[in-house]
Amino acid sequence: MIVLEAFNLKKKYAGEYEFAVNDFNANILKGEIVALLGESGCGKTTILRMIAGFEKPDDGILKLNSQKIASKDFMTAPEKRGVGIVFQDYALFPHKTVNENILFGLFRLSKDKAKERLIEMIALTGLNGLEQRYPHELSGGQQQRVALARALAPDPSILLLDEPFSNLDAMRKNELRFELRDIIRKAGTTAIFVTHDTRDVLAIADRVFVLKKGVTIQQGSPEEVYRKPADSYVASFFGKTNIIAVDPNSSVLEDCFGLCIPKNQHLENLASIRPRAFKIAQENTEGAFEAKVLEQLYFGEFLELICETENQKLQLIVHADPDFVVSSRKIWLRVHPEDVTYVKH
Amino acid sequence: MKNIFFKSFFSPWVISVLIITLLISMPILVIFSGIWNEAGDFWVHIRTELVPQYIRNTLILAVGVSIISLIFGVNLAWLISNFDFPGRNFFDWALIMPIAIPAYISGFAWAGILDYTSPLYTFLRNNFGWNTGQFLFFDILSISGAIVIFSFALYPYIFLIAKAYFDRQSGNLFEASASLGRSKMYTYFNLALPMARPAIAAGLSLVLMEILNDYGLVKYFGVDTFTTGIFSAWFAFGDKSAAMKLAVYLMVFVLFLLIFEKMQRRRLRYSGVSEGKLMSRIKVSGFKGWLITFFSIIPFIVGFAFPFLQLVYWSFDTWEQFLTQGFIRLLTNSFLLAAISALIVMISSVLIIYTLRLYHSRRLKLVSVISTLGYALPGAVVALGLLVILSWTENFFIQHWGLRIVITGTWFGLIYAYLVRFMAVGYQSVESGSEKISRSIDQAALSLGAGKFRNLWFNSLPLLRASIISGFLLVMIDVLKELPLTLLLRPFNFDTLAIRAFEYASDERVAEAAPAAVMIILAGLMPVLIINRLIGRTKI
Repeated sequence: MIVLEAFNLKKKYAGEYEFAVNDFNANILKGEIVALLGESGCGKTTILRMIAGFEKPDDGILKLNSQKIASKDFMTAPEKRGVGIVFQDYALFPHKTVNENILFGLFRLSKDKAKERLIEMIALTGLNGLEQRYPHELSGGQQQRVALARALAPDPSILLLDEPFSNLDAMRKNELRFELRDIIRKAGTTAIFVTHDTRDVLAIADRVFVLKKGVTIQQGSPEEVYRKPADSYVASFFGKTNIIAVDPNSSVLEDCFGLCIPKNQHLENLASIRPRAFKIAQENTEGAFEAKVLEQLYFGEFLELICETENQKLQLIVHADPDFVVSSRKIWLRVHPEDVTYVKH
Repeated sequence: MKNIFFKSFFSPWVISVLIITLLISMPILVIFSGIWNEAGDFWVHIRTELVPQYIRNTLILAVGVSIISLIFGVNLAWLISNFDFPGRNFFDWALIMPIAIPAYISGFAWAGILDYTSPLYTFLRNNFGWNTGQFLFFDILSISGAIVIFSFALYPYIFLIAKAYFDRQSGNLFEASASLGRSKMYTYFNLALPMARPAIAAGLSLVLMEILNDYGLVKYFGVDTFTTGIFSAWFAFGDKSAAMKLAVYLMVFVLFLLIFEKMQRRRLRYSGVSEGKLMSRIKVSGFKGWLITFFSIIPFIVGFAFPFLQLVYWSFDTWEQFLTQGFIRLLTNSFLLAAISALIVMISSVLIIYTLRLYHSRRLKLVSVISTLGYALPGAVVALGLLVILSWTENFFIQHWGLRIVITGTWFGLIYAYLVRFMAVGYQSVESGSEKISRSIDQAALSLGAGKFRNLWFNSLPLLRASIISGFLLVMIDVLKELPLTLLLRPFNFDTLAIRAFEYASDERVAEAAPAAVMIILAGLMPVLIINRLIGRTKI
């Protein structure tokens, strides 16, 4: 079942030349967790704000549960939409307790029903024992759970989260990611979150939209996008990669790596190979090629080698096991054809 | 911290700060000695007959003015901060303008407007046949009249502080409220207002301090309060100890105010002010928009436009006469006195703040804050405390050295009193400027071998220039407007613009009072622009 539909959504801010959001299209299914990924200024927050009703689209249509909520000349007020939002700074009401914050949006229910829902939300988000605290008496993670409970309490059709992990302690981030995902899943709600961190996407999203300058470059499951990036931008966004120019006529892949993979049928003229795809091989093994180590950097989880291929003088980033010892400046490397992805420029 | 304080105790910087603080706090402390003064027969009469009335009048004024000035100050601040309506940009600063008219001037201007012989009444009588008797609508020379005048003269204090707060309030909070289904009205009353309470309380306590300070308006309107009581005890009955006992009563009110403000301020810790995104203004057009415009225009007209225009109108008749009556002397008196006082206040402020930067001691900071307490005290109280000190000093000189010196009723006494009363104005503007300058600038200069004075002269002063100039102007204008303190301490036959305006108006020569009043207002309008820029933070 489709919860949210966006058709050709456009938005340009006054005094700006370029569109903040340009032809955004999406169908969000019930229960999905969708990520909008991009660098700052890519339009991801603007899309979120248009869905919430804080910005009006210049063109296009937004539908929530098949009801039009915004278009060029129509706008449902945010308070009438039934959209929940968790802000980056949580925006908890500083003079209200945890309970009062969560009850804030439950005014349409009877007193008993509201109380019931409150207890349900406290249990769901694990806030037991903190009910009478004020926001400034809570840790960052606890504040986020209050914001989540408050937004989920009125049972919104869709939950929006603006950079949900940017304010959290780096040490506990992973734990909190899964905690958040579990709460959303248990609540059975549909969620859209905005982030600039691919690790958030890989950890908890069902689907991701990669945005650049207001345009969707690629959408799909996080795994798809990671493995088959549409272009060199997406490929680099999801971590370091070796982008190698492969003109239709060049045989660089064959010459360098001894790879015989079918020429790409499309017009993509770059190949992306992740540093991890290169494996250290024994000298003169079948399909291995020779490279010179220019530099080595220890990262703890892996050892990064900057290498130069012997025949084409191509510079490569290679990630080896951290305990690999570079005994001589010459090493042998191997790469599997399936680890090579053609990408657009 | 402790060590640094004691080690640096004998540095000339710290010693001069301590001396300034002592000088300023002396007249304040002396007032409390009034409690132990022997009570004369006259005091018994005052305490039983007059004090209950003073208390009642003060409370009625305080409650009435609080209600009206809160309604206009807070709501207008919210509307200006969050909505775009016809004339918004004009009202953004026009609503501050009433602050330029001292309440007593606005008072006699309005008394004139509603008087039987006023141009407005004459016009209505002749053209519409309205004849409501001696006054148009109601007798403004009453306690309710004083409430209205005070409210529309003083609401800008609340407006300014509340608006500065609303301008910085996090937009996310209100968007969160909207996404939870709450209306804008609900959000205003249940989120914005409770969170703004400390800011509103700060504005309100300024308003109430001004009421306690006022002498001119209550005197003119015939409302007896502690200040009028102090004046009559002092001048009419020559009973110094009774005047001081009344001053102690007044101080109790001030103390309550300071405690109230402090209690509210403690809540500021979690105030909902964001560093990040601010609310963007919502456009309101059509009927609703014009309704807001109408609401905004009321305080502007009552607090500024009508009284100002009335004064300008009177001035056309009396301008030439005003110019010939010792005009030059009046002007030099007023401006020279104001400028010298402001200069001394600013030098003291810079000295204190710079020393605080150098020594960074909490104790020293606590001590120096005492020097700013005079702002909370009514001018009449400061003047009384000072009179006592000055006469003690004169007696001391005669008794011990047989020297007859005169310092009461001199410029020295006046300037000393202004330093006590207005130190906070200079102190706060230098302090806010200093907070923006990194301490490492001082440390860099000192480590490069510059002496403390050299660093002050070549680094701190140029960096603080803007705050020093705006502080200087603000103090100058406060001195120009000051009435009760000046009346009590002025040299014999010495007039300032404020005294001239008040005395003529009291003698029912309102038209002759007008030119001086207009000059005070024009001078007072100057800082309106500065204040707006200092406090307001514009948003897109």
